[in-house]
Amino acid sequence: MDALQQIINGLTLGSLYALIAIGYTMVYGILRLINFAHGDVLMVGCYLAWFGAVMFGLPWWAALMGSMALTALLGVLIDQGAYRPLRQAPRISALITAIGVSFLLENLGLVVFGGRPKAFERPEIFNQILQWGDLRVLSLSLWVPVITALILAGLLLIIHRTRLGMAMRALSRDMVTVQLMGIDTNRVVAATFALGSALAAAGGIFWAMKYPQINPLMGVLPGLKAFVAAVLGGIGNVTGALLGGLVLGMSEILLVAWLPELAGYRDALAFVLLIGILIFRPTGIMGEELPE
Amino acid sequence: MSRISRWFDPGPLPAQSESRGRDSGLTILGCLGLAALLWLIQAQGGGYVVHMTTLAGLFAVLAVSYNLINGVTGQFSLEPNAFVACGAYVTALLTLSPAEKEMTFILEPLIWPFAVISLSLPVALVIAGLVTTLMAFVMGFPVFRVRGDYLAIVTLGFGEVIRVIANNAQSVTNGPLGLKGIPHLTNIWWAWGLAAVTLFVVMRLVNSSYGRALKAIREDEVAAEAMGINAFWHKMLAFTVSAFFEGVAGGLLGHLITTISPSLFTFFLTFNLLIIIVVGGLGSTTGAVLAAVLFTFGGEWLRVVEEPLDLFGLDIPGIPGMRMVVFSLILMACMIFARQGILGKHEFSWRWLIALARRRGGRA
Amino acid sequence: MTHPGLLRVEGLVCRFGGLVAVDGLSLVLGQGQLMGLIGPNGAGKTTVFNLLAGAVRPTAGRIFYRDHDITGHKAHRINRLGLARTFQNIRLFGELSALDNVLVGFHGRLEANFLSAILRLPGYVAAERRMLDRAAELLDLVGLGGLQDERAGNLAYGQQRLLEIARALATRPCLLLLDEPAAGMNPQETAQLAVLVRRLRDELGLTILLIEHDMHFVMNLCETLVVLDHGKVIARGDPARVRRDPGVVEAYLGAEVDLDAREAPGA
Repeated sequence: MDALQQIINGLTLGSLYALIAIGYTMVYGILRLINFAHGDVLMVGCYLAWFGAVMFGLPWWAALMGSMALTALLGVLIDQGAYRPLRQAPRISALITAIGVSFLLENLGLVVFGGRPKAFERPEIFNQILQWGDLRVLSLSLWVPVITALILAGLLLIIHRTRLGMAMRALSRDMVTVQLMGIDTNRVVAATFALGSALAAAGGIFWAMKYPQINPLMGVLPGLKAFVAAVLGGIGNVTGALLGGLVLGMSEILLVAWLPELAGYRDALAFVLLIGILIFRPTGIMGEELPE
Repeated sequence: MSRISRWFDPGPLPAQSESRGRDSGLTILGCLGLAALLWLIQAQGGGYVVHMTTLAGLFAVLAVSYNLINGVTGQFSLEPNAFVACGAYVTALLTLSPAEKEMTFILEPLIWPFAVISLSLPVALVIAGLVTTLMAFVMGFPVFRVRGDYLAIVTLGFGEVIRVIANNAQSVTNGPLGLKGIPHLTNIWWAWGLAAVTLFVVMRLVNSSYGRALKAIREDEVAAEAMGINAFWHKMLAFTVSAFFEGVAGGLLGHLITTISPSLFTFFLTFNLLIIIVVGGLGSTTGAVLAAVLFTFGGEWLRVVEEPLDLFGLDIPGIPGMRMVVFSLILMACMIFARQGILGKHEFSWRWLIALARRRGGRA
Repeated sequence: MTHPGLLRVEGLVCRFGGLVAVDGLSLVLGQGQLMGLIGPNGAGKTTVFNLLAGAVRPTAGRIFYRDHDITGHKAHRINRLGLARTFQNIRLFGELSALDNVLVGFHGRLEANFLSAILRLPGYVAAERRMLDRAAELLDLVGLGGLQDERAGNLAYGQQRLLEIARALATRPCLLLLDEPAAGMNPQETAQLAVLVRRLRDELGLTILLIEHDMHFVMNLCETLVVLDHGKVIARGDPARVRRDPGVVEAYLGAEVDLDAREAPGA
């Protein structure tokens, strides 16, 4: 039973990483840019949801939807304001700017909200403790993978069955040619940021429900780990992001379960895995060779 | 060229070989001038000014080292906080007396041999530098196998790993409690002496054939390899030299602020250094020094936005943390509008200054 | 007349995913030869250069340089052995001066280590002086004498091509691979280039393999040609023979046209 418990925990954590990783992988696939600010966008999403719930008394699902929408907007703003002017610049410039945006969001968060964590309400539906024999599971842990699967299904539908999705896939192969085809690449890129950011907000909010508190720096480590998950799964590949997230989530939970003395090192596990995958299989689990 | 940079353009410069003797003389003069200035600050300035000047010197060391791997060799690494932490911890563990260590390590005793030894600062610094260099050497093997953007994540990850280790290895680093009571041995001379050494070594390296090789790697690694340059080993060279000085600077930093803990060496430190070298000009060693000094003092000056302001009788409340927001905006603005930073890839040189003075002075 | 094989390629194959760029190439290049590698666009010529120079790993086949098996070796090792190249799309170190670009070429053979560089020990200082002198000579040789301090990225296109050659020469090669050295040059520059290439072979004793599309240039300069199409060798031999080979004509022009009838402008 204990194993089942761990598996469920791993699935939950993995799903959260996956939701965040998808945003990274989509942006990297198209722009070849590591959006360092992604983790902090997640943080903003959490605070927006918190505002909605606490200030406006919205029910949890309304706060979630609203936050996802607003966070999507934020993602687009960041792209248009900070990354778009640098589309033609050397990649290092865009990377540095991404770090700048990340830094800006974190410090703005500290200024506006202060460094002290705020408690995050866990909605009743997610707060049940379900019990089967020895197994005690928080209902949230069961809901998260299900919701993630639904979101992912929706996303894959968009990517493979809509024109927007086709444009996104084409763009990740060859941006110049797509532009020559008369497609407004800026719109497609903006849509990519919007989708990725909305997903990150969802991931962040469920994360906040799981460890029920939020603070301005909460997005940093999950963001980094989610990027590692994206690399694990094969950067640029949405299904890869899901796989990578699950692998990472599982590995962390199993580490804590089997080697409790090393529990404090769980945050380092992601990077050990990163080094490993970059040495042995740099394209990731599902990766294809990215053209140079 | 913008109007500002045109003002600073002195026209064609005379050949370097013609003025080498004069330039060396001027540099020595400049060093003496700096030494006199430092002595003045030490003697006349209050504790606060001395502290800031010392800190500026250490940041100059960090900026110059970081610029070597990032700006000169073009390898976008986010490593400094890892090496600074390593240097700080190793030095502190070596200089603290056994009695102090016993007092500090209350949860778990410190391992041998650290528990029993206590070395002088110079020896401890050298050892710390060498340990950091070794760490960089080992890190280099996986790190330089990966492409540019991944390099950033991997080095950032190493920083996180170091922080996690520092937080957990109770018997080595005292975990989250950190080390306190570190003797305040760092003074203005240590800091700026190290800065002088670092600047000397790095400038000599950059202005040599090796420096050209590093820049070639930055410009076009494939072409550099085709010309017989082993890119991997040259990146390793830049990385380890950077690491050495970052480690030593970390040791001096620890002995300046006398208390260190894992939370001190987060990526925020790296980001600050990144801002410095970008503003100074990615690839310019003298630019890095300039920006480090500007940043340290400017940052303090910027504290004014965090204090309540009385502006024409209007009470504007202070906003703590606003400084960092301003810094982020500066970084972003720099990247979008002035990617070259202050000096771009150029270095300050006496020839430039004299030629500029002649040109501008002649007009007056 | 047989030359000892400076470069020997056996059955070289290069596959990128489903695409076969080079399909079983074999050739022997003797010491002091001036060989041209020609073929229609997309024939795989630059890929061959990339394989020889170590930028790309062959899928199959072997490359021997002076009887050393250099298959799969890294680019910098191959360069140290004596094989230098220029690039089809110019790959200079744009921010560095012309002189610095050439000086970089010397670095691979620098005997002084970085410590002696930092400390400016006599061994390093002497080596640096030698490099400076030699670099100036090379720039003069290719005709870029007065442009030492110009930023490489600011040079004219034809000058950049010459600078790439000077840089390659700095690495002290025995075998020089020139990838479209005359591209973008006007007839006068092309003629000067031909003179330079001959000098490199005659005076410096280099063996030269070059890729070119300018037929007049190639036919007049090279002693022997290898024609590539779709990664395969379709003809080889001296220019007169190759020019009449129907397979070659068809590959280039897709019809029966007499190559002799095409005169280069200003010939």
